[in-house]
Amino acid sequence: MNTAVGRLVRAELRLMTRDPLVLTFVFAFPIVTMLIIGGAFGTRPDPAFDGTNPSHWYVASYLTVVIAATGLVMLPVHLASYRERGVLRRFAAAGFPRWSFAIAQLTVGLLTTAVACALLLAVAAPVYGIPAVHDAWRVAVALPLGAVAFVSLGVLLGSLLPSARAAQAVGLLLFFPSFLLGAGGPPPHVMGSVVKQVAGPLPLTLLTNAVRAPWLGLGPATGSLIAVAVLAVAASAAAARRTAL
Amino acid sequence: MTVRGLRKSYGARVVVDDLDLDVPAGEIVGLIGANGAGKTTTVECVQGLRKPDSGRLRVLGFDPVTQAEQLRPLVGSQLQSSALPDRLRVAEALDLFGTPRARDGGELLEQFGLTQRRRSVFSSLSGGERQRLFLVLALLNRPRLVILDELTQGLDPAARRGVWDAVRQLNDEGTTVLLVTHEMDEAEALCDRVAVMRAGQVIDAGAPADLVERHASTAVIRFSMPDPPARLLDQVRRLDGVREVSRSGARVTVRGHRRIVAFVCAALVRWDQVPADLAIYQPGLEDALLGLLNGTHDEAPVNGELIGGRR
Repeated sequence: MNTAVGRLVRAELRLMTRDPLVLTFVFAFPIVTMLIIGGAFGTRPDPAFDGTNPSHWYVASYLTVVIAATGLVMLPVHLASYRERGVLRRFAAAGFPRWSFAIAQLTVGLLTTAVACALLLAVAAPVYGIPAVHDAWRVAVALPLGAVAFVSLGVLLGSLLPSARAAQAVGLLLFFPSFLLGAGGPPPHVMGSVVKQVAGPLPLTLLTNAVRAPWLGLGPATGSLIAVAVLAVAASAAAARRTAL
Repeated sequence: MTVRGLRKSYGARVVVDDLDLDVPAGEIVGLIGANGAGKTTTVECVQGLRKPDSGRLRVLGFDPVTQAEQLRPLVGSQLQSSALPDRLRVAEALDLFGTPRARDGGELLEQFGLTQRRRSVFSSLSGGERQRLFLVLALLNRPRLVILDELTQGLDPAARRGVWDAVRQLNDEGTTVLLVTHEMDEAEALCDRVAVMRAGQVIDAGAPADLVERHASTAVIRFSMPDPPARLLDQVRRLDGVREVSRSGARVTVRGHRRIVAFVCAALVRWDQVPADLAIYQPGLEDALLGLLNGTHDEAPVNGELIGGRR
């Protein structure tokens, strides 16, 4: 793998294992909050959770928290700091092909989410058990599409925001409301109508719905899946353009 | 490398204004000038890192605007104000930037005194070590053209000499070097030719010695002689190239073309009047640059009573 992309991916993966922000935010935060929230509502099927076991509801919801943490927090901060410090200029001057950096970021983002998701399931399995997957292919389509969408959003944010600090502020501001309203917070049935209206069109709500509903047998969620697919295409095209070296 | 009529503005501010520049293959060419003269923007355009507003550029046979992908791998560059990821180790940087045609990175680290720092992360390197690492990376992939922007900024004198030797060696091996610098001694020591920039244009170019000849040719000789024989001063005044001889108390100041140094010293020896405090100021590239930029060349500051001279 001595291609430019291969070399970039190798270096970025190495650096990621040394970055405390990534380790805490992408790996630890979703697991810890899943353990807390997943235990808060018990395991008895509950109408507020569409008649499912609340712990399982949250296990099925939290893979998208990993995806959002990667896309909305980790990547924007990472990229903005690279641009701010002239690292991207150096890559460009060193002759890395135009698209190599965007492709490397996409690859690294997807690998990170895959590993963090596996870790989350490995922790959830002995504690709450992993709910049976009702409609495996829809889940299998929604997760990678969602990962592409959020990773691309992250790359895009990182290329638009002026500094690492700004990226962190904006990233957290986008992440926490999305997290509370669309994935890791209370189920939609207990939300007031205004909150529900705000939560509904958020990208993370759509993605979580596209994963959780087919997983727990609550419906196909085709509309959410299509929305996520559109977002994935639009965001990745825009991100690739913005990060061309 | 040939640049004709290069223009680049940032908003309303014109940074490079109708610039022409030639860098013949195999030479070391310096780009000098005050801060904000447009030097860095020029080299960024040459590397295809910035898109010029207009102008024709040809670098190693490629157009940096439309053929940046082909050009960049042939150019090694050490950029001003750029960095590497904080936690990247020195050896990993060589892996990351080394293409299949890279030289042995270990040798380069050895040459630039970084072998001991192989496992250190970028953020722990000192300013000088960072500069040397950038130089190693610039040379890693056997570039045909090397662009060095503020090459020895932050280096101690010994490290500077080491870097200069490396640049000379590189040039001996046939690599063309474009050097952007504020350090006139650096330009004088390394460059075959220099181009002086002001307000986005090259205002003069040539060998360092030619620029000095054109823009700062006045040498100044000072010595103390409490009671100088009148005939000695007369003779000095008539020496070829002398423009002015002044006296202030015991202090004698002689100004004129650079070659007066030889004649005046020879005269002093002949008269057996060699002063203990003989001081000679030979103008260098820095004076030429100041002369060019400020239009004050040949105005070496001397206070004293004018007792003779001709122009």
